[in-house]
Formats: sequence, C-alpha cells, structure tokens
Amino acid sequence: MDELKIFTINKNIHEDNAKVANETREILKSHNTYLINVMSSPGSGKTTTLVSTINALKEEMKIGVIEADVDSDVDARTVQNAGAKAVQMHTGGLCHLDATMTRAGINELGVEDLDLVFLENIGNLICPVGYDTGAMKNVAILSVPEGDDKPLKYPKIFSKVDVLIVNKIDVMEHFDFKLDLLEERVRKLNKDVLIIPISAKTGDGIDLWVNWIREEMKVR
Amino acid sequence: MHELGIVYEVIKIVDGFVKENNLTKVDTIVLEIGQLSQAIPRFIEDCYPAAVSETAYKDTKLEIISLPANGKCKLCNEVYNIINHRKICPKCNGEDFTLISGQEFNIKEIVGY
Repeated sequence: MDELKIFTINKNIHEDNAKVANETREILKSHNTYLINVMSSPGSGKTTTLVSTINALKEEMKIGVIEADVDSDVDARTVQNAGAKAVQMHTGGLCHLDATMTRAGINELGVEDLDLVFLENIGNLICPVGYDTGAMKNVAILSVPEGDDKPLKYPKIFSKVDVLIVNKIDVMEHFDFKLDLLEERVRKLNKDVLIIPISAKTGDGIDLWVNWIREEMKVR
Repeated sequence: MHELGIVYEVIKIVDGFVKENNLTKVDTIVLEIGQLSQAIPRFIEDCYPAAVSETAYKDTKLEIISLPANGKCKLCNEVYNIINHRKICPKCNGEDFTLISGQEFNIKEIVGY
C-alpha cells in the first residue's frame, strides 16, 4: 500500500461560488442588465413590494423577476400579471440560492432585452446572505409585524445589505415597532445602509425606493 | 439546512484536486469550519455519508477542525471569543472589535496517495 501523504489545499469552499458570481456580473454588464437580490423572511411582502415596484417602473424600463421558492409558482404568476417577465425556480427544499442556481435562472429568463432583474430569494433571514448570487446590489425587506428586534437576532443579513426596506408601515400603530430603535440597531451593524420605510400595499414610500433604483442604474 | 449542498461542493473541489494531481486514494478530508460560518459541523458530519455514497470517496474519512469566533478589541487589543463573551471585551468591556477568525469554511488538506 502506498504511503499516505498530506496535500495542502487551503481552499475556501465559497471560492468557486464567488467566481461564478463575478462572471455573472460581467455577463449582466455586457447586456446592460442590473440585478438586485431581494432577501427577507417569508411573509414580509417581497412579492407585493416587487409588484408595486414593477408598476412604478414598467413604463420606463423592461423588468424581469427570478422567483425562487421551495415549491409552487404562485409568485411568478403574480409578478407576471404585474407586467414583468418571470421565471420560477424551485430549490427542492434548499434554503438559499447560490451563484450557479442564480445563473440557471438568468439563462432561463433570458436577460438580453431586460434593463432590471430582481432575484426574489428564498424567504429566510439566515442562509441566503451567505452566498454571493452575482447581483449588483443586495436588499433586505423587514416588515413591521416581524418586530424591531430582528437585527439583534439575525445580524448577518442586516450587516451585509445595501438597502433595508421596512415594509407594512401602514400597520405600524397596531404593533410595538419603533422605527428609530430599529435604525439604531441596524446602524450598529451597517452604518452605510439606506433604510427606506414603505407600505407596498398603500404605495407609501415606493417613490423613494424606485428613485434609489433609478439612481443606481444611472451609474452602473 | 444547507449543509448537504456544502458537502457536495467539498466533494467537487476534492475531486478536482484528485484528478489534477493524479491521486489514487483519499483517506481523509480535513475541513476548517469557523463558528460563524453558518455551517454546523454536526450536520456536515451527518450528511457526509449520504453525499459520498456511490462515489469514489465512500470510504474517505472526514475530519473537522472548528475555528473559534475570535475578535480583537479595538480599545485594548484583547483577543476574545465573541460568542462566549456576547461581543463584549472581557478585559475592558469595549464593544468594538475586529473579527480575526470564525467565518472560515476551508478545505484545509486531504490525506491520501
């Protein structure tokens, strides 16, 4: 029997993911397509927020959505009805999307004629943030009923995103949710994050959010 | 539960290394997993047999080295485990630290021939 030897590899497990994600950004840039990764808990209003966003922007740009869920295509139908091109991905139980799965979604969607694509990640505050999907920007949505203590409990997602949308502000009075306390907790983790309070249902604050998207796309 | 996907990724990288270096057998795969890496060593160990069954690595052992979530205090330079000390420096009670380890998920080495 041959003698056992130690071979040093020292390779980060996410190195390949990062490579695919960087390639994705290059491909998207070559088509002039802007990809935004949207993450949140289940039920925070990701799909409703996207529908409001699509309605606000669809006259000025072509929009696509990659929906990722464990099962069903209810979200893809919803955003399609709002006027976006959509594909539904199923992760079969997996709790996040990685760069390879995202690329498959991009290929299926076909982004050549799209200006803006949203990746609606799996509803989960923990796993998705660990994976670079290839998006240009990362956004988290936190809804008022979830509570202002979530940055304390799930710090990683709040520390990594470019924008934090606080959704369902129309029901704020019924909940013990303090926006200033939330902001203080989030800033401790991420001093540069842009916090945008909205109600996807009433449309309140959507203008600030879509203006941010417009500005980002200008400098892309 | 994303550990199974991670284990498949490990096997893919090891397999690439094995082919590149013309190895015939891998006895052990050694991983370094940080306490903040979002991967739980026990779950990795649990799903490893399923991931390697019916592959060339079904007899390959898995060894996991856990790396502590260590921070260095920005005030007094004390190095402490930020999980055990809830992010507060045990020496000076400072709350500002630089993370120096804990986010790793590396394939450190493989033992084989």
